[in-house]
Order: sequence, then C-alpha cells, then structure tokens
Amino acid sequence: MLTPKRVKWRKVQRGRMTGRAIRGSTLTFGDFGLQATEPCWMTNRQIEAARIAMTRHIKRGGKVWIKVFPDKPATKKPAEVRMGAGKGNPEFWVAVVRPGRVLFELSGVAPDVAREALRRAAAKLPIDTKIVSREEA
Amino acid sequence: MATKELKLTIESREKLGTTGSNALRHAGKIPAVLYGHGTAPEHLAIDAHAFEELLHRGGRNAIVTLAGGAKTGETALVRVVQYHPVSHHVLHADLQRVSAKESIAAKLAVVTVGVARGLRESGGVMDVVTHELEIEGPADSIPENIEVDVSELGLHEHIVAGDIKLPSGFKMLTPAETTVVAIEASRTERDLEEASAGPAEAAEPAVIGETPGATEQ
Repeated sequence: MLTPKRVKWRKVQRGRMTGRAIRGSTLTFGDFGLQATEPCWMTNRQIEAARIAMTRHIKRGGKVWIKVFPDKPATKKPAEVRMGAGKGNPEFWVAVVRPGRVLFELSGVAPDVAREALRRAAAKLPIDTKIVSREEA
Repeated sequence: MATKELKLTIESREKLGTTGSNALRHAGKIPAVLYGHGTAPEHLAIDAHAFEELLHRGGRNAIVTLAGGAKTGETALVRVVQYHPVSHHVLHADLQRVSAKESIAAKLAVVTVGVARGLRESGGVMDVVTHELEIEGPADSIPENIEVDVSELGLHEHIVAGDIKLPSGFKMLTPAETTVVAIEASRTERDLEEASAGPAEAAEPAVIGETPGATEQ
C-alpha cells in the first residue's frame, strides 16, 4: 500500500480543500484517465482498492499510472475518549484531491476495456469522477 | 495536410480582466488575443460554439482566415487554447498572425499507424512516451498530426524523434534522441499476482531528524 518512506513530521494540520487542482489536471502518460470532479481526502486503501479493481479487469497487457500519492498523515482519537489531551494518533495516509485532478491513467488496452476498468476503479473511490480520454482533450 | 479553408468571426473586446472575461464567457463567448508580426496585441471575443467547431474541424494547426471589423482577411494560427480542468470548456485562446509562406513552429500530436510486431508476436505493450512533437515548416502546409509507423517495431525496441520522416520543407525541433514510441514487455505472472493481491500493511515511515526507537507522546 502507498505510504511515504520518510516524513518530516508525524502529524500535520488538516488544511483546506477549496478550489480546483492547479496541477495534474491533464493526461500526461496514458490514453485514458479518471478525473476527480469533487474534493476529498483519498486514503491509501481507497487508492489501492481502485488500482486492484483496474488491474484485475485489464488482466494482461496495458499500463497503469497512479497519479496521486497519499503523503498526508490523518489522525484519529480512540473510541470513547474525552476531548482534549492532545492530537490523536496517526491512523492512515491520505492524498488531498481537488476537482480536476487526474487520479489514474491507463494505456495499451482497447477503449472499451479501458473505460470499464476505470468505471470499476471509480466505484472504489469516495467521490464522483469522470473518464477522460486523449481524443476528447 | 491542412488545406481546408477555415474562417473565424471575431470582434474586438473592451472589457479586460477576470470580471470582463467571465461576463463574456457567460454570454457564450471566449476571450482571445491576437498577436504577431510586430504589432501590439489585440483583445478579441470569439463565439464559443464556433471556436469549438473550428478546433473539431482541424483548426488546431491550420491557417484560419479572420472575419470581422478591420481584421477581415487577416490570417492567423491558433497557438494556445486554455481549457477548464473539470468542464473542459475553452477558457481562452491565443491567435498568432501568420502569412501562408511564413515558417513557424508547431506542436503536433503523434498518431501511431499499424500494429507493432512486438505486440503481434510477443504480446508486448506499446507505450507512446512522447505524445507531441515540435516541428518547424511553412504555415500553410502544417499537417494535422504526425503519423509514426510502428508495424516493424519489436519487443524492447523504440522509435526516437530523429527516426521520423517529415514532409519536405519541415524540420524537427524536438531533440532527435527523444523516445517517441517504445514496445515494452507485458506484465508477467508475478506482476499479475502482485496486482491482484490484497493490500499489505506498510510499516510506519521514519521521521526525519528523530532518533530511531525514541518514543513520542
């Protein structure tokens, strides 16, 4: 599963998810891509689940690019703990996704296979997405 | 070759900046700018639907004849088109004045032709590494795209920019050693197993500057 190897800080502030993706909003490697249309914190488990769904469908051949990386630690307080007494423990890693961000790219497979693979990947994600292709762009 | 006669109706634009441009977009138009040939840039408004139709008909690298006002009959080339990242509507366009025989640089999309030998016989995967190539040549004969024949390409072979034959009068601006298309081996059984495997729990990352084993509250 995707996690950073080294970090500068164990816990970070939550930040905001306003606006749209400034970078990474175009197809750079593949012929088809999955683009976010909503903001979210995408966990490494969700990214992994989407990747597995996609690669299982395309079977042999094809190439997949994951264009988001969960580099932000998200913390959580244990259940039934009173508020206060400091920030919770780091529990999982998230990628901050803003609308317009291309999450996955795909190439080397037939268009109908690519679209179905991306549709299956989209079902594993917590946000609305759309499929983009190089021809449309 | 781009030999189609393309026309675009333009009008001059008075209101500049974000507010003026957004108002224009709400009215179904696109803010644009016309520059080149040593004259001052001029701010224009173009009908959004007509412009998208123009791009669809191959106007990305073809000479466009402008119509409207004092600029009727001038020829220009669509240089930069900005799209909204989510809706993919055109936000802004740059037009550059060109004359038919002028030599200009243009970025053209790479289109592969044929099925590579490495795909047919060895079950490899074709990877288009460079999707756009920059060429220079006469403005009136810029092709819509660059066709690259990959039919003789075997496994672990590639085509570089220098291998591509261009129409006479054109020269490649992209460095000759740039890889354009490569045929790679398909994923192996082990890769497939890894790809299908469930998520493995990763170890906690090291904190830079912190001594290993030090406990933190």
